[in-house]
Amino acid sequence: MKQESTRIAVTETLIELAGEDPEIVLVCADSILVIKGKPFVEKYPDRYFDVGIAEQNAVCCAAGLASCGFTPFVATYAGFITMRACEQVRTFVAYPGLNVKMIGANGGIAAGEREGVTHQFFEDLGILRTIPGITIVVPADAGQVREAVKAVAQKRGPAYVRIGSGRDPVVFEEPVPFELGKIRILREEGTDVALFANGFILPRVFEAAEELKAKGIKATVVEVHTLKPLDLKAITGVLSRTGAAVTVEDHNIIGGLGSAIAEVIAEQRPVPLVRVGLRDIFPRSGRPGKLLDYYNIGVADIVAGAQKVIKKKLER
Amino acid sequence: MPARKKTVGMDERIKKLTEMARVLRMDVVRMIHLAGDGHPGPSLSVADIIAALYFEVMHIDPENPDWKDRDRLVLSKGHACPVLYAALARRGYFAIEELPGLRSLESMLQGHPDMNKTPGIDTTSGSLGNGISIGLGMALAARLRRQDYYVYVITGDGELEEGVAWEAMMAAKHYRVGRLITIIDNNEMQSGGPVEKISGLYPILPKLKAFGWHCQEIDGHNFIEILRSIQLAQVEESKPSVILAHTVKGKGVPFMIGDNSWHKRVPTEAELKEAMLALGGGGVDETGKHPYRRN
Repeated sequence: MKQESTRIAVTETLIELAGEDPEIVLVCADSILVIKGKPFVEKYPDRYFDVGIAEQNAVCCAAGLASCGFTPFVATYAGFITMRACEQVRTFVAYPGLNVKMIGANGGIAAGEREGVTHQFFEDLGILRTIPGITIVVPADAGQVREAVKAVAQKRGPAYVRIGSGRDPVVFEEPVPFELGKIRILREEGTDVALFANGFILPRVFEAAEELKAKGIKATVVEVHTLKPLDLKAITGVLSRTGAAVTVEDHNIIGGLGSAIAEVIAEQRPVPLVRVGLRDIFPRSGRPGKLLDYYNIGVADIVAGAQKVIKKKLER
Repeated sequence: MPARKKTVGMDERIKKLTEMARVLRMDVVRMIHLAGDGHPGPSLSVADIIAALYFEVMHIDPENPDWKDRDRLVLSKGHACPVLYAALARRGYFAIEELPGLRSLESMLQGHPDMNKTPGIDTTSGSLGNGISIGLGMALAARLRRQDYYVYVITGDGELEEGVAWEAMMAAKHYRVGRLITIIDNNEMQSGGPVEKISGLYPILPKLKAFGWHCQEIDGHNFIEILRSIQLAQVEESKPSVILAHTVKGKGVPFMIGDNSWHKRVPTEAELKEAMLALGGGGVDETGKHPYRRN
């Protein structure tokens, strides 16, 4: 499968944005190589701050910069922003609503792949989702990362963009428009079941939709790239049309997309649901494809989930 | 020399600051009594430092709280906000009548400082240890914009047990932020008791010296020392400065000194009277009117 680095996409986009907006600065925690950010440093040496291996300091420092009018992007591994510096994100960025943008690398177990649990981050979205006021985006590929970074730069306030390992599959061959806060219906074979997904895992969902089609099951594939604010109205509409849902994510099934859709289902439009994702366990090291299959985030799991919810729907 | 020039009229200024600190201390005790909640001890230890900053040192404009070139204050020990609120009110950022509203639902005065709800608050704070790091960001912002404001951070001693404070100290040295001035309100107590009994934090200054900071040690209740040390810190442009100010928790109210229950405790009616008496009573009537009040 064709690949393009989401990390390089971030840096290239930041260089582009920084050229237009003198307020944009980059704050790293010895993480400049994580985002292949040297070109940014070469172009804007004064607008790059590396505070050392110190994520709490990076986030607070960014808060200080933002309170004086700058738009700092803090870029490092997803878990070190959202877990080690979680309270700084919550109290000093989200609570005062400061214009700090966070870029989290190695989002998901596939993106952390052979590094093991310390560098596989499958809790980031759940953690941030419980903090008020943070825009959370899970782009599908490098092209979408570019769009997402531009979109969050334009919207005032705290935001988080999840990126990958740098060996990230290209999901959209052609450039597709990106609208922050809106779901995108990627395939609409029919209304037997809705497959909600986001992130680099989307190719698996397309594959599952094909398999389902071969079995005579018509799925609607919905990308929920903006996890917060959630496109409540459109999601409810899809649920009403399909009456059955499967969520697919490279994240713990607790806290992320699965939980978000479950909340909509419970409050707005009760339908059968299966959540495909990491089943609340710590994974192992391994190559991304094998990892996802091993931890029940495979095409077969999506297909089985779809069949299960359709059966439940018909039993009602 | 600027130091010489500054000594002109010094007596008068010290007199004014001493009186203001006394007023702020009375505001603190009364505010916490009326509100029924708050931290008197840590507010009183830092009262003289706050008075010096807000009524002598800082370039600020109460009419224009968001003035871009203003000096900034980060109260890292956010729980001492009653004295900061008192100073802001006395300086004219908002009405003194707001003070008893402390911690109540309708009030602009949150339990810990909130930069969006209270005019004059530069930084949301209250979670300990983070102030130096936020101040570093503000100082970097000033340098990037070629602005010449100072960033003052007031931190407790106990909160330096937090790792992020030392992360910030390293980075501040690396970035040579000469306009970052940290004052440690070294009252030797933290919530659970004496700092010395709880951690291996002391001695603090040798550590900061080793971290490459410009270090001074003063009596935090002596205005001549407070003003002079800040002046020296301002002169040092190539490194961040720290002023370790020895202070007394509960300073000004004898029955609060040496009794750490006053870290967070509400004075009763009788205790309020006793405190007011100790602070020299008079000068401020029950409605909070005082000669320093802006009209």
